[in-house]
Amino acid sequence: MNQLNNGFTIFLSLLVEAMPFLLLGVLLSSLLLFFVDERKLLAVMPRNPLLASIFGSCVGFLFPVCECGNVPVARRLLLQGAPASMAVGFLLAAPTINPVVIWSTWVAFRDQPEIVVLRVLFSFSIAVVVGWVFSSQKDLRPLLQQKMTRLMRQSSPSVQRDWIDDQTKIEKASVLLQSGSFLLGQPGAPLRLDADTVQSSVAANPTKRVSDKLRLFLDNTVQEFLELGGVLVLGSAIAAVIQVGVPREIILSLGQGPVTSILAMMLLAAVVSICSTVDSFFALAFASTFTSGSLLAFLVFGPMIDIKAIGLMLSVFKWRAIVYLFALAAQLTFLLTLFVNLKIS
Amino acid sequence: MSAPQNVSKVKKKFQFPGKLILPLLDIFTLAIWGVVLLKLWSSGELNLLIHPNYFGLVVVTGLALLSIAAWKILWLLKRWRQQASGKSVTMSVAQHLSLFPPGWSSALLLVIAIVGLTVKPKVFASDTAIQRGITEAVTVTRLQPQAFKPLSKPEERSLIDWVRTLNIYPEPDTYTGQSVKVTGFVVHPPELPTKYLLVSRFVITCCAADAYPVGLPVKLKGSRDKYPVDTWIEIEGEMITEKLEEKRQLTIEASSIKKIDKPANPYNY
Repeated sequence: MNQLNNGFTIFLSLLVEAMPFLLLGVLLSSLLLFFVDERKLLAVMPRNPLLASIFGSCVGFLFPVCECGNVPVARRLLLQGAPASMAVGFLLAAPTINPVVIWSTWVAFRDQPEIVVLRVLFSFSIAVVVGWVFSSQKDLRPLLQQKMTRLMRQSSPSVQRDWIDDQTKIEKASVLLQSGSFLLGQPGAPLRLDADTVQSSVAANPTKRVSDKLRLFLDNTVQEFLELGGVLVLGSAIAAVIQVGVPREIILSLGQGPVTSILAMMLLAAVVSICSTVDSFFALAFASTFTSGSLLAFLVFGPMIDIKAIGLMLSVFKWRAIVYLFALAAQLTFLLTLFVNLKIS
Repeated sequence: MSAPQNVSKVKKKFQFPGKLILPLLDIFTLAIWGVVLLKLWSSGELNLLIHPNYFGLVVVTGLALLSIAAWKILWLLKRWRQQASGKSVTMSVAQHLSLFPPGWSSALLLVIAIVGLTVKPKVFASDTAIQRGITEAVTVTRLQPQAFKPLSKPEERSLIDWVRTLNIYPEPDTYTGQSVKVTGFVVHPPELPTKYLLVSRFVITCCAADAYPVGLPVKLKGSRDKYPVDTWIEIEGEMITEKLEEKRQLTIEASSIKKIDKPANPYNY
């Protein structure tokens, strides 16, 4: 009973501490739908693949999205003709290299500022390197889903499209994704109908009032907050159960080994799928028992790839591309954080 | 508190409540989370959960959630009026990510919020302290004081001040003879002889998930059974160096021990 109560206290404290950051992240990612125009961004982008990759990795500062918001944005970027290096750089870096995430990591690891610095540094390097590797694939289309390549052909730069249009397409894609995946098991048909209705109504009525935009902003905020809040609840529950329920000896023996701790945390990162704006609080629950390198591995790898993100990525990439991304990111994370464990701490 | 009441009113007016269950569930969930955050703050229970630096964030978030819920209700009402007056309105439910089927995520959050309103968070006690490894507390490396100032009088140092000081100058003999007055709760570590107990406190940097215990051994005149585990005590005495578990350790030689009430805010920062 005591254990249960302790666990609940830890669980609630994680939730309460994370809620503000979750809301902030969601509000900002909904706002960016209004204020950031990807086409202007693409116009100022450098042409060199390495520079484009660096550029893409830094764009997260303009798009404060976590790993659930970045796939739709990366998708829009690709559709508007962004090179692979930039889109992949963005995809991997944006969930970490952005003000909200850096702030929340700082809040969680005030005592260990090196974690904050190395998290940013490692995420950035990995994103740039993987983005650069992907730039060697001149024509990205074999790696993309057929639907994406079709849309890419359709979208010519001269067509003035606004974000609602894109938004609808994303919604359509995610509906397709839902009905294709057994994990979700939800009735897709009514949603698809809705999305079509919106699309046609938007197409028929290109001038939208501010109030419509506000309503979409509101809907987007509420939806994202509730979806991500649900994931946050599950993640916090797992963290609390592990902290209270697993005997200290097991945790210590796993968490103190330089290699085992990293592998355990990377596995946890992939499974838990907790949003990057709040994952530092999750990691904090392990701060006293796990090596710094393994905490970093969690913080660097988690935002790049997890079960939830794979579902989303499948709306853009084919399996093959996701496996490449996954393998590259995992190896780089492992090597960098192993270096931290062996040489720094 | 007004938002949830509104919800039930709205619900009655609608002709097709089936379509509205999900939006209403969403609104209700947002509102009740706003209430939970504000209630934790106003009741002081937030002290047990997170570091006081972040209280402001939680309050603002609570208010923001309530406002969003209110805003969403206004939209629903407006749309209902438009529908009632025969205007055609396209309704769209923007679905983003979908790890859960619609409504599940809200329902989960709602249940947790209700539990959060009813169950009181608990102050960590000695069982957690032992589980989190209190005996390593003195050598804990997570304490990195931003600015270290040698505290004027040793008897004014709190337990955490002592542990911080000890981290900077670990030689226990430095402190021999200095007078001590600290408060904390009692832990009986199994590895110490019965003449000794640990006086400890939890330190929070961010939230309860990272609360970690610090403590100093106390040398008693008699057996520690007089001071049961988890009793809060105020100790006065002198610093000495004792050899415990093959290690020379800074120890308090108690001259007086007073049982006290559990402080309103049991954590140290």
